[in-house]
Amino acid sequence: MDYQRLFESDISTEAVKAWKAKGKKAVGIICCHVPEELFYAADILPVRMRATNCIDNSEAQAWMSSFSCSFARGLLQYWLEGPYKELDGFVTSDGCMQSSRMHDNAAYINTIKKTGKFIRQIDAPRKISERAYPFYRAELQDLVTDLEELTGNKITDEKLKAAIAKLNEARELVAKVYELRKEKDPVISGTDCLKLTLAATNMPVDEYVELLKAFLADAKNRKPITDHRVRLMVIGSGLDDPKYIELIESKGGFVVADSLCFGRRGFDDPMEVDDKDVLGSIAKYYLDRLVCPRMMDKHFEMDDYIIDTCRDWNVDGILYQRMQYCEIWGGEAVYFQDRLKNAGIPILTVEREEQMTNEGQLGIRVEAFVEMIEKED
Amino acid sequence: MADVKDLEELVLKGEMSITEFACTKIDGSLERMRQKHPEMLWTMEIQKFMWDNYRDAHKNGKKLVFYGGSIPTELIAAFDCFGFYMDVIPFRLSTNPAITAKYIDEAEKYVAPTMCGLDKTELGAWLSGAYGIKPDMFVYNTVPCDSSRLAYPAMAKLMDVPTFSFDTPFRRDDRGAEYLAEQIEDFIVFMEENTGHKLDWDKLKYFMENSNRNFELQKKCSDLRKNKPCPLPGRLLVLNGTTNAVACYPEMGDLYAAELEAGQMMVELGIGACPDEKYRVAMLQNMIWGAASIMDWMQTEYNAVAIMDAFGFQGDIMYEHMDDRRDCFKTMGKKMQNNPMIHGASGPSEYHLALVDKIFQDYDPNVSMFLGHVGCKHTWASAKMVSDMVQEKYGLPTLYLDLDAIDGRYKSNDEIKAQISEYFETVVMK
Repeated sequence: MDYQRLFESDISTEAVKAWKAKGKKAVGIICCHVPEELFYAADILPVRMRATNCIDNSEAQAWMSSFSCSFARGLLQYWLEGPYKELDGFVTSDGCMQSSRMHDNAAYINTIKKTGKFIRQIDAPRKISERAYPFYRAELQDLVTDLEELTGNKITDEKLKAAIAKLNEARELVAKVYELRKEKDPVISGTDCLKLTLAATNMPVDEYVELLKAFLADAKNRKPITDHRVRLMVIGSGLDDPKYIELIESKGGFVVADSLCFGRRGFDDPMEVDDKDVLGSIAKYYLDRLVCPRMMDKHFEMDDYIIDTCRDWNVDGILYQRMQYCEIWGGEAVYFQDRLKNAGIPILTVEREEQMTNEGQLGIRVEAFVEMIEKED
Repeated sequence: MADVKDLEELVLKGEMSITEFACTKIDGSLERMRQKHPEMLWTMEIQKFMWDNYRDAHKNGKKLVFYGGSIPTELIAAFDCFGFYMDVIPFRLSTNPAITAKYIDEAEKYVAPTMCGLDKTELGAWLSGAYGIKPDMFVYNTVPCDSSRLAYPAMAKLMDVPTFSFDTPFRRDDRGAEYLAEQIEDFIVFMEENTGHKLDWDKLKYFMENSNRNFELQKKCSDLRKNKPCPLPGRLLVLNGTTNAVACYPEMGDLYAAELEAGQMMVELGIGACPDEKYRVAMLQNMIWGAASIMDWMQTEYNAVAIMDAFGFQGDIMYEHMDDRRDCFKTMGKKMQNNPMIHGASGPSEYHLALVDKIFQDYDPNVSMFLGHVGCKHTWASAKMVSDMVQEKYGLPTLYLDLDAIDGRYKSNDEIKAQISEYFETVVMK
């Protein structure tokens, strides 16, 4: 089976059009606390929204100002004038203030223009506690009700469990892809790996699973990549542009691991299901999983993950990219800086915008960082 | 008293703490006021009450509870502790840009430069060991913004004292209030463990009653601003910020009582804050904490008085059933969710829109300004919605002006004035 579609990372609307041609709905998802399982259980195609290649976000900037992060502006731009016009709506959580404001502006414009699109926001706690789970579960229950109303389809436990099983399969397969990168000379680059995880946003999970299986079956036939100088981990703000990783890799920094919401963290480990409370299981899974430092009591867990990953993937250094105006990731160094130093892990901090800018400067800094780490070896 | 510049120098050298600096500066201001404007002493006395209590808490046998965000301060006081609202540091230091610059630079070693100046100042001052007081406990919540969500847990790590955090829901509804009421029960357990005292309901009632009195008086002061001419100067809106720090103490109510008395007298005499009020300015974002004198300048230069701001100090949530524990805690939850600043800045933009709409309905402004603190990126992201609504419903164009309400290096007062002048002369007065 040809799995090349896994490496076509530009935003595609083909799957959305095909899905809608069958008389079904396709709805966007923003951030990491909107469970895709609910959508599949309602026979809706969930589309994780991104801003890849959004070079001109001027209309969105007029709404959100230049003091907003360019990823959020890109999402709004694509919603107003871009690929996401095809969607029947979108659902977000209060992931960060920027994504929330993207929602607010879209909802406001929706009201003014009377587009009738389905726009919802759910409230996701920022702390884990026995009180937080039922709160979040109730929010998900409201969303279930809304999705049922949108489609006329009843969301049953059985449908939810089927969706969980399929998404778990994708999670397990992506984990296997990441395992391949532990090799001294992996058969997949960091650039291709990001393309592969981004591809999940372009197709239904069934198709995605089949392509992943085909890729993994063929992995042993792929040529190991040997022309790298150091092994890097990329952490930081939502990164949905493989060209960024490509530039890093072109300077000798081979990306073998990440802590990115569009990368490994967006998939995480499989979900465990309690048959007595399937929706509660979903709530627990999405609240517990560690995707983004928006969770206020998980900073140290995030640091642990980064340090453990560096050890397990034999990482030489970390590239910490923070999107301008992304406060969520922008100050994370307060937490990890000393710990990384103590663990002897070098780190390069770079500012970034959604669209590729300052490529020359980034290249020089990465090159210098690579040289520095090599010398230390 | 030493010159402010000399005091600043001591702080910059690390030879004077910011608490001592604030107390000394306030004493100096009071002294000058006694001589020149004794009738205005009440505007400074609240500052003295706050800062002396911060400095002397331990001497007075009280535990000091640092807090960030919107916290039920009535409970802190009921446990015989004194709450230290961390935002008072950047507010107080914002008129000393050399000092805020030092702490902001210190914080930027770790955090992005785009983080809010309030949080950077608090963080940088702590990293510099400049507070001069030490917390016994730390409490924070998850509002109002991403900057504080980053800063508060970081401060907790640095302070290394018993810490409690509230998870404040984004949306304001009954589910959220119940969720907070449950967490307040947890907070009481935390306070009992860390003070060694059980909650004394009568004490709590006393502070809730104070809180009700203060917010009633605050509402009456706000209502006075509906008068034409507006009897109270724009500068006093800045003082409203003090409410977050001492809302449950009688001293706050005394301030509002004095403000109300002065305002009522002005109304009776038919006098406004401007000798000849022409323009009533609605401020759609924060106030200019670091340059409140711009309010005075607008009054004298353009006969324009800031009548209300979207910070949200028109408190109207009161404790009603003081012997009903659950009802009180739900009310506390609602107050936390609707706290000034929280009200305008956090949560969905619809709250900000509703607040601005209410200002236009109630106060009848004829000038609209969005003097946007650059740290409040999320309010900037609501600005077009808000100003479009103002244009459409009230026919007023809004001045957008970016400034840093804490970091004086971002834009000078003269530049801010020049931009406001241009707006008055090319738009408002045409």
